[in-house]
Amino acid sequence: MKLFIFLIFVVAGLSGCVTSTVEQVRESATGMSEGDAVVVLGRRNRPSQTQTELDFINCISNNMSSGANGVAVITEQDFMDALFPWFEPRTAPINTNELPGLLQQPVLAERLREISLKYLVWVEGSTRRTSQTGSLSCAATPGGGGCFGFLTWENDSNYEASVWNAHTAKTAGKISSEAAGTSYIPAVIVPIPIIARVQSSACEKLADQLKVFIQDTP
Amino acid sequence: MGLNRHQDERLRPLHIMRLGLIVCVSFGLASCASTKNLVLDTTFPVPLMNKVPVRLAFHLDDTLLSYVYSEKIEKKGQWNVELGSVQTKLFNNLAAGIFEQHKLVATNSAPGLDGVLKPSITDLQFSLPDQTRSDFYEVWIRYNFDLYDSNGNPVGNWPLTAYGKASKNDFSSSSSGVEAAAIAACRDAMAFFAINFTKVPIVKKWFANGKPQKPPAAPSPAESAEDGKT
Repeated sequence: MKLFIFLIFVVAGLSGCVTSTVEQVRESATGMSEGDAVVVLGRRNRPSQTQTELDFINCISNNMSSGANGVAVITEQDFMDALFPWFEPRTAPINTNELPGLLQQPVLAERLREISLKYLVWVEGSTRRTSQTGSLSCAATPGGGGCFGFLTWENDSNYEASVWNAHTAKTAGKISSEAAGTSYIPAVIVPIPIIARVQSSACEKLADQLKVFIQDTP
Repeated sequence: MGLNRHQDERLRPLHIMRLGLIVCVSFGLASCASTKNLVLDTTFPVPLMNKVPVRLAFHLDDTLLSYVYSEKIEKKGQWNVELGSVQTKLFNNLAAGIFEQHKLVATNSAPGLDGVLKPSITDLQFSLPDQTRSDFYEVWIRYNFDLYDSNGNPVGNWPLTAYGKASKNDFSSSSSGVEAAAIAACRDAMAFFAINFTKVPIVKKWFANGKPQKPPAAPSPAESAEDGKT
């Protein structure tokens, strides 16, 4: 029994390798004051063939708000409800040129002040399975069951975050995060998944860099 | 040949597990093509707008409030999307955000106000990712808006097409995906209406003419005869 529990922990602890890179382009100085908040939004303008995953946006928000240098983050849904209908897929500004026009509306400017929004972070991109090889088959019979085979696949994450300053209505900079990793499942009766946490790695790296970027004044 | 009592007791959990597995698989297979009844469960935000100086009533009739879209999809079963139950919340919040004054009424006339808006859903379509070979659940809702003056005289009408989508990567079941896309379509309808209401040609002309009110329409001869009898 102890060996079985030990094996479960070993299997759970196995994870594939992930390589990731983060790049940053700064266009203007940044900084956060006491009470300032940030919102992380997924790009959902139409028409588009891809859409940033909701759990990736939540992951970025959670990672940015936690840790030693965590910042105040407004959730995407709360922000969209508070600013409805100006950040819906049909109406959201595409670039910073459209921000001044929006901010000229007194009700909108007042609401942004109420929620103390300093930065809008627009996230684009997604995680895709780029290749898959091998096969794995499982069978179940009244007498028992098992799996046999070897399966491997590669996931690629490509995300770009544009940081807009809500006070100046200008782009503060862009941060891109790329990650790739290969997952394996060898199976001899019991499949042993060795999963590369590609999306999770991209999220952590991007969130960490965003935290430094918006609090940093070079 | 029979098992002794001790062996029987040891094997009983195994029998129960096998039976459970068979039942689960059977239910699983049956649910693949079962009826899916989607009831939207959501709240809608109040639009953040400069209020339009107009006092309008909304007439939400029973056809709208009980609207259910039904479609049978091959290998996916029967789908019933109930949209009527959220219409009161939707139009109440929409009106609260964009009109100076509003209320819900049961007819096409509303003395004391400027006019009455009667929305109706004329069409709804939805698609699953398998059907479109895309990553998205998609919903299209086509509304029609009839505008009346306060005495119930028609001013005009216009259509509004709303669209919502939800990624299959974000939702574990097709029901939750279609529901999310339907909610997105409802929000899209509210957003489009809120931003474009004063730009609709009929509304623009009605406003430019000072929101004219015609006298109540004379009852038809048949109605007069009915009244005479009583």
